[in-house]
Amino acid sequence: MDLSIFGLSDIILSLKVTHLANFFASLIAFSSFIVMFIGRNYKLTKSFYALFILLTASLFLIVYAADYLLFFIGWEVMSISSYFLLSFSLSKEALHKYIIFAMASALSIFIAILILYSGTHSFLYADARESFARLSDIKGIVFVVLMLFGIFVKLGTIGFHYWLVDAYEESHDFFTPYLSAVLSKMGIYALIILVTQVVELSYTLAIIGVMTSIIATFKAIQEDSAKRLLAYSSIAQLGYIVTVLGVADGMAGALYHSLIHTLVKLLLFINIAGIIYVTGRSKFSQLGGLIYKTPQSFVLLLIGIITLAGMPPLGGFASKFMIYTSLLDAKYLLILSAVMFSSASAFLYVYKLIYGIYLGHPTNKKLESIKEVPLSFLIPQYILALILILIGTFPALIVPQLNAILSESHLHTIAFRDYATLISAFGEYNGLVLISAFGVIFGIVLLFLLSTHSKVKEVKDRFDVAYCGEEPNEATHLHYGYSMGKELKRVGFLNLIYKNSVKPFYDFIASQTVNFADIFKKIYTGNLTNNFNIAVVFAIILLWWSIK
Amino acid sequence: MIVLDSLLMFLIAYSTGFLYYGLYRNITARFQRRYGPPIWQSFFDSIKFFTKEESTSHGWMFYLGPIIMMTGAIMTLLFIPFFSNDESFVGLSKYGNLFVVLYLLVLGPLGNALGVGTAGNPFGAMGITRGLSRLFAMELPFYIAVIAIMSLSGSSDIATISASQTMLNAVAYPLLFIGALFSFIGMMGQAPFDVVGAPVEVYSGPATEFSGKFLALLMSQSAIFTFAKLVLMVHLFLGGADGFLELLGKTFVLFLFVIAFGSMYGRFKTAQSIDFLLKVPTTIAVLGLILATWS
Repeated sequence: MDLSIFGLSDIILSLKVTHLANFFASLIAFSSFIVMFIGRNYKLTKSFYALFILLTASLFLIVYAADYLLFFIGWEVMSISSYFLLSFSLSKEALHKYIIFAMASALSIFIAILILYSGTHSFLYADARESFARLSDIKGIVFVVLMLFGIFVKLGTIGFHYWLVDAYEESHDFFTPYLSAVLSKMGIYALIILVTQVVELSYTLAIIGVMTSIIATFKAIQEDSAKRLLAYSSIAQLGYIVTVLGVADGMAGALYHSLIHTLVKLLLFINIAGIIYVTGRSKFSQLGGLIYKTPQSFVLLLIGIITLAGMPPLGGFASKFMIYTSLLDAKYLLILSAVMFSSASAFLYVYKLIYGIYLGHPTNKKLESIKEVPLSFLIPQYILALILILIGTFPALIVPQLNAILSESHLHTIAFRDYATLISAFGEYNGLVLISAFGVIFGIVLLFLLSTHSKVKEVKDRFDVAYCGEEPNEATHLHYGYSMGKELKRVGFLNLIYKNSVKPFYDFIASQTVNFADIFKKIYTGNLTNNFNIAVVFAIILLWWSIK
Repeated sequence: MIVLDSLLMFLIAYSTGFLYYGLYRNITARFQRRYGPPIWQSFFDSIKFFTKEESTSHGWMFYLGPIIMMTGAIMTLLFIPFFSNDESFVGLSKYGNLFVVLYLLVLGPLGNALGVGTAGNPFGAMGITRGLSRLFAMELPFYIAVIAIMSLSGSSDIATISASQTMLNAVAYPLLFIGALFSFIGMMGQAPFDVVGAPVEVYSGPATEFSGKFLALLMSQSAIFTFAKLVLMVHLFLGGADGFLELLGKTFVLFLFVIAFGSMYGRFKTAQSIDFLLKVPTTIAVLGLILATWS
């Protein structure tokens, strides 16, 4: 687009359709489609939907922009429209946190873009590498730091996650899936652009990413609220993507995991939204024992957590496999160990999620009369679960699309034989064999167990459990596992994660800002005469300056 | 062909697993100056449990829990070949790799955890909580060692790793082996990392509510799973095997070491075992990894 008529003769704005942009655009489009299913359960105002559409449009602008200026415009519109969307349900404090962080992120990205512009006087991605090369060392470092700050705030990387968890917890149940599935992916998209078009960041990203995923995983384990737990889980999962983007050939794993994370977080947040819709509760300490009341939701959540934990044979394993093998291939061995450690720790919070809601004992009489959640919650979950099973069975199904993106970015493509076999630099596996072996063995064992002549006595009374010879009753504390992970605080090494928080740091910044603002308040008191005097003084200074 | 192969692998693992379990009970009995039960006692017990007239169940998820556990154990077995260079007894191993096996190792316990949770027994949930809290700490040294081995042999295929050892990995990279051994003792449910089941202390952990044929299924899967884990460890560190005699010899030596170790030491509390595993074996394994891959 030519902007010379506005007097901006050397600025070129352009949109470009690339395979990468298409990939993220399809994630946006699909997620908007999926969340619309649950919209009809809530009485949402017209302005909510209007803002939602504006937000989605800004996301398309971000992914299809071919220069940093349009990208920034999209980013700014995204931040502000999601501010208004969040303002429907967030408390004042959480909302303030969100807008301060979002604006800080946008401004720091804007400054970074201007620094980059000073290189070749072009905003285009195509010139970005050249621009970066022409920057002085100091400017280069400042650019990278500001750009990463802006992106990390959006991703909620540990240290910058202060706004995220509250915003996720308090946001409208209709909007949370979208926040986690799509908005966070814009940070990943920006990071991919930075890494592929401007500068490689190898170990910096890998270390920040892996620290994020470990700390967020352990924070998630301690949470009592399902939405907060999933918010931390989002941070951790994005941590894996950041880590693998530190590796030259990590793009494939990053894209694959972005796809899986989008699908699985839509599924999980919609599931939780359904449970909140029927019970009005979201804390594990107030739920429990819903499995036989809402069996379909249980099975769907189970599919979600199997994927989230990266268990074969579902889709989550495919993306984890890509991430692991690309780290292994790049010889990032300790980082890979840390990633796998974090991934194994995630079993604890995924089990807590399903146990706290569906297993154990109902903590309240009201929970015993709950009915299955409405179909409008179940249909989108069924769609997502089917896709996850399909990807698990044919893990190479999206490899042709990934290869198109990779070859466009001049990276090594993934070898491809058939849709069932996922091939990486370090071995391969066959999803179809895995899932059918599981099915066949499961079937045989089930048939065997059914055929034994031993009868099964179904226990009707939920207090009829083996309890050291005593009989538990209503007053006995039986929903034990909801506080799972508490004993981790007794491990000194892990307690460091729990003891430390970023709150004091941000409180300090806030108090310093207030002190600083107090100085101005002494001059600018709000008194009309005073204001007039200040204006006159300013006018004189300006006049003097322009004459000089 | 694959079906026959898998069936034979299953039968061998089933019988060897129960044999080892019988030997385990006898050997620990001698450590405690007792005569143990007859060697095949556990096997007969499991058969007896299968034929019990009545088993208690808490709904369909409870029913499926032990089945998933058994499926996980058999899957693990089938994705690990018995021998380093052989066309037979490979099961499904050429369709998977070490990463798949690492995940299959936890598939069964996690599936059973769902069944335990459904039963609503707080002792079961307590066992699961302890198990999962300990799990990540237990896996870390093992993961570090396995990653180093994979990187050194340039493959994630178990048979390739096994066959590529000119000198046994356990000898060439002793620190990695020691680090992994601590994890392995935990995986085998031996002291000092046996807080999950913790008989006497928490009634009996995850298995509390299971009776009759469910308990029999859990016992059988334990036998198969034990053998599969031993074979995996032999492939990774002890150079694999080329015949049944070698396989049985190596797995038995490893097994003997693990149960001897288990008989010697007391039990760590959950927090203690996490603390220990994250400090000592992890440090050893990290040192091993750095030394092994320095050049």
